[in-house]
Amino acid sequence: MQNFIKYLKTKANIAESEFQLLIKKVEIRNIEKGQVLLGPGEICKHSFFVEKGLLRSYTIDNSGKEHILQFGSENWIVSDRSSTFFNEPSDLSIDAIEDTQVVLISSEFINEASEISSSFRNYNQIALQNHIRHQQKRINLLLSATAETRYMNFITLYPDLTLRVPQWMIASYLGITPESLSRVRKELALKNFKPN
Amino acid sequence: MRTKHIEIVVAPKDPHYVGDGFRVHNFIPSGYRLDMERMDPFILLDYNSPFYFPPTDKPRGVSVHPHRGFETVTIAYQGKVAHHDSSGNSGVIGVGDVQWMTAASGILHKEYHEEKFSKEGGYFQMAQLWVNLPAKYKMSDPKYQGITNSQINKYQLAGDKGVIEIIAGNYKNVEGAASTFSPVNMFNARLEEGGKAEFTFPSTYNTALLVVDGEINVNGTQTVAENHFVLFENEGEDFSIEATKKSTVLILSGEPLNEPIAAQGPFVMNTRKEIVQAIKDYNLGKFGYLEE
Repeated sequence: MQNFIKYLKTKANIAESEFQLLIKKVEIRNIEKGQVLLGPGEICKHSFFVEKGLLRSYTIDNSGKEHILQFGSENWIVSDRSSTFFNEPSDLSIDAIEDTQVVLISSEFINEASEISSSFRNYNQIALQNHIRHQQKRINLLLSATAETRYMNFITLYPDLTLRVPQWMIASYLGITPESLSRVRKELALKNFKPN
Repeated sequence: MRTKHIEIVVAPKDPHYVGDGFRVHNFIPSGYRLDMERMDPFILLDYNSPFYFPPTDKPRGVSVHPHRGFETVTIAYQGKVAHHDSSGNSGVIGVGDVQWMTAASGILHKEYHEEKFSKEGGYFQMAQLWVNLPAKYKMSDPKYQGITNSQINKYQLAGDKGVIEIIAGNYKNVEGAASTFSPVNMFNARLEEGGKAEFTFPSTYNTALLVVDGEINVNGTQTVAENHFVLFENEGEDFSIEATKKSTVLILSGEPLNEPIAAQGPFVMNTRKEIVQAIKDYNLGKFGYLEE
């Protein structure tokens, strides 16, 4: 749980005494590649902090095609916040792309942490605002940006995921076809590759 | 000269797949005593013990992926592998051949079972090593050495008891076929039952062997079974192996580079900063382009 502890202490600035109380309230789960944490139609009961490994959240359309909304590698949190907050069924699925260790963060944990720690309350607010900002940017990129701009944003946000996930998943996240992604990468190579 | 004793004998771990074409037991880097620093310059060893792949129209293998900072060495014992890389090199290696690819500053490559082998199916047996590059060569030009078995110099053991194939380095004044960037010895000892061979390496060199086929006795004291890996102590210079069954043994001995190692996925550099740069360069297409 090293990453989670570090995360709580640095990001949320939790004091040691508060930390000792809170850490007992989280649960660790080890899941294998391909295992599902949230299925469509289920109510999302937890936020999943990725201690080690890689998760994705995605939807499946009527033709069976997957659309990836988010990847979550180490120190990321993947969840369906609105499903948790409104206690309603989620449209999302969440599963593991690699063998993964997650820390399960429940609403009770968030509520309790917010009660006993003002810095956590503050952090949670910022996290929510960050989430909204990220979503807005993502919607805007999907509506207005070229495939290359989307890819450039992706490699800035998730530098090492090009080594960890298959091309078709990256294409799915970017909302383009695998062929388009291949073309973007080829054009970048033509521009940037300087053979000796 | 003193005897070089065995430090540990390592049993093969459960196999895992690299892509869909390589079913390997990983020996290096793994846990206690087989980490990259201990085994330097041999920073990875995956061994595909004999495994039957049924016929298929779509060749199995590993799709396009990058490397930077080291060399990949593939030794074919059974089956055939085709290789293509972003430097424009390609080739097929078959039984007894070796592919020595210097990724250095960066390369994209793909490795697949050769087409005809895929169509017919068959037993597949290969070793893949990553040999680390000295810091001053990590950003040098990529290079490819496709070495056929006939190009590998051989040392005949007395009484037709076997042959030592010198892939790299030097054995009893017979020179290896591959050029290397630091002192590396890599041999295949192919021994008949009762065949015996002696080896001498500096005590400081990291030295190991893998019993690819058969069964051997090391230094007349310990029997080592098929698919098992032996790490030698960094004391003493001489060891001997004797085949208790007809055997093939991969012998490895290299001078440690003793430089810092920073590794992530397909990149092995000296610092974390260089790894971050490698990822960035790869994402921006600076390794070139290769069709899937």
